[in-house]
Amino acid sequence: MMWSNTFPQIAESTLRTLSRAIDKGYLTFSREYGAAIEAFFEPLLYFLIGFERVLLGSPWWVIIGTIGLISYAASRSWKLVLGVVLALCLIGVFGMWENTMRTMAMILVCTLLSILIGIPIGIFMSRSGRGQKIILPILDVMQTMPSFVYLIPVVMLLGIGRVPGLIAVVIYAIPPVIRLTNLGIRLVEKDALEAAEAFGASRLQKLLKVQLPLALPTIMAGINQTIMMALAMVVIASMIGVRGLGQPVLQAVTNQYFALGLFNGTAVVVLAIIFDRVTQRFGLRLQKHREGAR
Amino acid sequence: MKITKPSYIVAIAFALGVLGSTAAQAACGKVTIAEMNWASAQAAARVDAFILKHGYGCASETVPGDTMPTAVSMTEKGRPDIAPELWLNNIKEPIDKAIKEKRLVIVGDVLQNADKNAGEGWWVPRYMLEKTPELTTIEGVKKHASLFKDPEDPGKGRLLGCPAGWACQISTQNLYDAFAMKDAGFNLVDPGSGAALAGAIAKAYNRGEGILTYYWAPTSLLSKLDMVRVDMGPHDKNAFEKCIGIADCANPKPNSFPVSEIKTVVATKFANTNPAPMEYLKSRVWTPEAFGAVLTYMEKEQANGQAAAVWFLKNHEKTWSEWVPANIAAKVKAAL
Amino acid sequence: MTTDTIISIRNLYKVFGKDPAKAMRLIHQGMSKDELLEKTGHVIGLNNVSLDMERHRIQVVMGLSGSGKSTLIRHINRLIVPTAGQILVDGEDVLQLNPVALRALRRFKISMVFQKFSLFPHRSVFENVGYGLETQGATKSKIKETSMRWINRVGLAGFENHYPGQLSGGMQQRVGLARALATDADILLMDEAFSALDPLIRTEMQDVLLDLQNELQKTIVFITHDLDEALRIGDNIAILRDGEIIQSDDPQNILLKPADAYIADFMKDINRARVLRVRAIMKPLEPLDEGPVVKGTTTIEEALQIFAETSGDKLIITDRQGNRIGRLTVEDMIRGMRRPTAEEIHA
Repeated sequence: MMWSNTFPQIAESTLRTLSRAIDKGYLTFSREYGAAIEAFFEPLLYFLIGFERVLLGSPWWVIIGTIGLISYAASRSWKLVLGVVLALCLIGVFGMWENTMRTMAMILVCTLLSILIGIPIGIFMSRSGRGQKIILPILDVMQTMPSFVYLIPVVMLLGIGRVPGLIAVVIYAIPPVIRLTNLGIRLVEKDALEAAEAFGASRLQKLLKVQLPLALPTIMAGINQTIMMALAMVVIASMIGVRGLGQPVLQAVTNQYFALGLFNGTAVVVLAIIFDRVTQRFGLRLQKHREGAR
Repeated sequence: MKITKPSYIVAIAFALGVLGSTAAQAACGKVTIAEMNWASAQAAARVDAFILKHGYGCASETVPGDTMPTAVSMTEKGRPDIAPELWLNNIKEPIDKAIKEKRLVIVGDVLQNADKNAGEGWWVPRYMLEKTPELTTIEGVKKHASLFKDPEDPGKGRLLGCPAGWACQISTQNLYDAFAMKDAGFNLVDPGSGAALAGAIAKAYNRGEGILTYYWAPTSLLSKLDMVRVDMGPHDKNAFEKCIGIADCANPKPNSFPVSEIKTVVATKFANTNPAPMEYLKSRVWTPEAFGAVLTYMEKEQANGQAAAVWFLKNHEKTWSEWVPANIAAKVKAAL
Repeated sequence: MTTDTIISIRNLYKVFGKDPAKAMRLIHQGMSKDELLEKTGHVIGLNNVSLDMERHRIQVVMGLSGSGKSTLIRHINRLIVPTAGQILVDGEDVLQLNPVALRALRRFKISMVFQKFSLFPHRSVFENVGYGLETQGATKSKIKETSMRWINRVGLAGFENHYPGQLSGGMQQRVGLARALATDADILLMDEAFSALDPLIRTEMQDVLLDLQNELQKTIVFITHDLDEALRIGDNIAILRDGEIIQSDDPQNILLKPADAYIADFMKDINRARVLRVRAIMKPLEPLDEGPVVKGTTTIEEALQIFAETSGDKLIITDRQGNRIGRLTVEDMIRGMRRPTAEEIHA
């Protein structure tokens, strides 16, 4: 029997009409609102370009020194600082300094944006059961929908370059920080919360003085994950023209240059490890503070 | 051992028989066909796959491909068997070498009169010419970098180039240097991928913005958008092959893109073991009208390669039935 | 309700389930607790509880697990909202307060100490104690001065910069106590505050509490399941069972006149000699009575001690001012220590 083997589906022509309608709709939307949306993102674009220029224009030892200082301030570990400085020097020695600076600028801005947008959303989700029900599936889609599906419409709307790349990275990287902020706040010990309430704390006081401080380790884990996922998107972003370490990797893949791919891929890994260790240490230090010597 | 002579003979005869029959079957066994990721190549690959499968009884299947990687793979590994639409201009040297080493065989043209109907180039939207007619030549373009604003680098113009992995990235880079585009105030921007390139062009065109970009015809994009190829002067074949098409050319001189050589290429092993399919491939030459019709269909109906192939086979019987002997045509028709 | 009543709980109901309002209607129609559970799956946590608590007294609410005592105490500062009923604190209906007024009530009028201490793990002892003052909006110097004063008062001097994770259970509860006292609230709610401590520490903390109460004269609502504790510190004991108050009386009366067999059973193992005061069982004074003079608040145990050390067969009982108000023989005392019989219970 025919239909037992092939799945009964809508007629091809109907599917095509549907596809065309969707495309046309999007084209109209893009024509109407595209310029306005581009203008909306312009300040962000200039910020990105400016930040990148700073990183590229500063002497390399200034940058390594600054990163070393930040790593020390965050972790108070000489071993880590030494590792970071060494790794960055190796990256420079192998000729990947410029690309690494570009990628670092991009990732830092993406992370900053993800934190600024993600934590308030996470806080909102933690308060509202309905909010959680609506937002969680959206987060699932953001993390699993193949990037090209939303990349191409974004390119059609905004062209190629940094801003669509930033949008793509943020869409992929923001869910962890939202999820873990939500989780962290929800998992705050009910006892401490009840005590705060019994002593007459307002909602803001509860949030700032009890919930956020106690949720901080979980939130830090979320930020850490977000950074990792942003770095993972580096190559995808290069597919729409974002410069940085992703480009040589993409070149290597399409041209089959093995060594080039290896070097640049390793640089991405090194960046990831640096960010990961520094933020983790910072998170641990925050915990130490609040729990005393455990 | 008590194996008597007659048993030997029986055994050998049996083995030969088996070998013979499998050899006869292997006359068309598994066939892999490269399907590049642009529209015309997809349709061409699928049409070939269909005809070889239902007409010639091959177990044909398509595999994804791209100019450079497919050429290398066919040369080194002999896989895939067939590349229906290989643009040879930018990989001339490696292909020539492969042919000399008898690893690859050029079957013939894919497109009729390719020199007139196809080609790479740098294109500008026609609506720009209404305001600035001198944009038809490269000198004119160089004078107006401000019309092709680079959104990521205000103050500079932008030439949208080829993504990494496409052979045209090399030629475009060399021509960019040869014409001193940088001094004229142009950035050469890598779009990252073919899809991004098409998207960026579509976006700019839909907004009525100024854009200078590499592209090639025949494509569904250029059949949709009205763009004009910039005149880059006469084409010097020798200089192109020796320099422009090579990655580390020291001193590129101004040149234009060559007439496109788009050929069907097969791995030698396949060529030697499949006479009937080879006949088909030799006679299978697309007319520009047929190609255009398929591209328009794909664009209008959002069809993928497979759907376009089926549509073409169903609606343009007169065209493709000329590529195959009558009995094969009947088999293909029956399978539709 | 007299002017001495600071907290008045009236006809309080708390029903747990999906539709408490509907359950209330059924209850008002006369449905019993078991029937309600069977038919609607709703549980009555508090069943028509009414209780008046006097100012400056320690009111103990006692019951076994599941009796509803923790639920009840949380109604007073509206951490839990009742299904029906009224709660008046100093004449104001707590349930009618808007959010601002409710916060003011919790900041300035009522303080709470919790069974599991509920300290803020991310804050030091000093910062924990000062928390109530922070929410009050006090100045930094006031917070510092007040917090240090109370840290010293509960005996934790030197531990200001430690974190709760570094302290033992007893010390943590001292922090909880200091935190509650620092706000200078009139009412102190203590939810099984000493139940999580080991017996020796528990007795120590009861001493600390009684000591503080002598000085501060706060109104304390104290939840416990420990009878000895209740009898030791309570000025008035309300016994809860299955969400209902079975008896509310001062400790002596509960011992002498238990409301039902359940309570009598509860009291079975109490050392009555240590709890009962001579005043509760004394007989009227007769002329020519002579003997050692003891105050009415003396326990029977102490009185027996005096009897053993002197000759004679009776004691003269006086009130706080020294007026003679009754007499007591050994026989009276022994009879007084006897547990009530079944008939006496139901009388």
